Amino acid sequence: MLKNRQKQVIEALLFLSEEPVSTERIAEVLAIAKEESEQLMKELIADFTSEERGIMIFPVAGGYQMGTLPALAEDLEKAFTEEVSSNLSTAALEVMAIVAYKQPVTRIEIESIRGVRSEYVIDNLLKRKLIRVSGRKEGPGRPLLYCTTVDFLQYFGLKDLEDLPVLEETNVDEYSSQEVEKSKDISH
Amino acid sequence: MEIAEYKIKLPVFEGPFDLLFHLIKKAELDIWSVSIAEITAQYLDYLRAMEELNLDIASEFLVMAATLLRLKSKMLLPRTPLSNADEEEEELFEINTAEELFLRLEEYRQFKEIGHYLKEREQEQQKIYLRSTGGQKVMVLTRQESVYTIWEGAHHLSDIMNRFTEIARKEEYMPVFQAVEDFMLTDKTAYILDSLNRSKQVMPMRSFVRKEGLWEVIITFVALLEMARQRIVMLLQDSSFSTIYVTLLEVSPDKEKEIAEKQTKASN
Repeated sequence: MLKNRQKQVIEALLFLSEEPVSTERIAEVLAIAKEESEQLMKELIADFTSEERGIMIFPVAGGYQMGTLPALAEDLEKAFTEEVSSNLSTAALEVMAIVAYKQPVTRIEIESIRGVRSEYVIDNLLKRKLIRVSGRKEGPGRPLLYCTTVDFLQYFGLKDLEDLPVLEETNVDEYSSQEVEKSKDISH
Repeated sequence: MEIAEYKIKLPVFEGPFDLLFHLIKKAELDIWSVSIAEITAQYLDYLRAMEELNLDIASEFLVMAATLLRLKSKMLLPRTPLSNADEEEEELFEINTAEELFLRLEEYRQFKEIGHYLKEREQEQQKIYLRSTGGQKVMVLTRQESVYTIWEGAHHLSDIMNRFTEIARKEEYMPVFQAVEDFMLTDKTAYILDSLNRSKQVMPMRSFVRKEGLWEVIITFVALLEMARQRIVMLLQDSSFSTIYVTLLEVSPDKEKEIAEKQTKASN
């Protein structure tokens, strides 16, 4: 199959799909190697960029998806009314962050990090399919374990979980020495 | 005379850690260089302000206040060699030393920051519009394993169960259930009742199955179970997996009327 024709197929696939399409899937459709489909995808993305199209192809949730340029949002909103999807609350974003890094994680573990009860927020995230129940933790009460979903990656435009920023290491030693000083201050 | 209205704006906090974190930031201090005594005083000031404004103080905030006070008193008092284990029990925060408190605060701070980061990603992502067919899929990418199709070509319930457990065992499994067909159980119940009334005979369950397909069998079976529960019909079966026969139970005219009323109500 001609290379141009292969790129056309990829473009059409992305156009039709409402979900991210993996390069594995494309390789299957075109009966080519995965590396080849990745190469074609790179070229197609470059084509879109160089031609300054209104549509772009971007990596998300382990695949690729077609979407409009973020810069066009304002103009597009004049033509289309958006389905009202409420943004996540600060509490929801905090819980989301904890689940993303600590998964699989129980409700109690989430609440102990946040210092507040979070049942309602967890229920909301479950309803929005941004988190899911992945099983139960062994131990007393066998509490439910939560982890993130593919929808989570899509919602935040993440390629995969590795795409999240790295958590800083907390330096405990540094703190301990300071604290000794401070407790002396208080007692005097 | 008009009552002067005081408008004091208190920031809303997600929880006690959020408030503590805010107090530390306000004092332009590093988490590790905060004195417990100072932070406790400020924390209690804030709670008092809330009280004056007649705001509900969530119990978590009070638990934290108690935790802070205990930490403070511990630092002031000489350490007793005998520690009472029962005393250390805490519900939401298991914080027994200042070090633990600051570690927990630091952990919270990190996730709060990640929350901010996610907020930015959310906003950025919401500027990208994706193709949508308004829920009506024009073309669905064929997947190798799909929960949508696990009942296709299945002849027995066990076929579906086997396929289901196979998929469910995989890690990436996420159940997605969609109603395949709209159906009305009441329609089925009415049909069964009507058929039995007309024939005045014992009828096999099969005779109520009007359409092809597993769903129809399921609906018929559920309808019969419900009718048996309500003592409208009796189900008879010789042995497991043999034909199920259905017969009307003796129904008094009053009862019959009641059922008929229920049916019309349900179908309205």
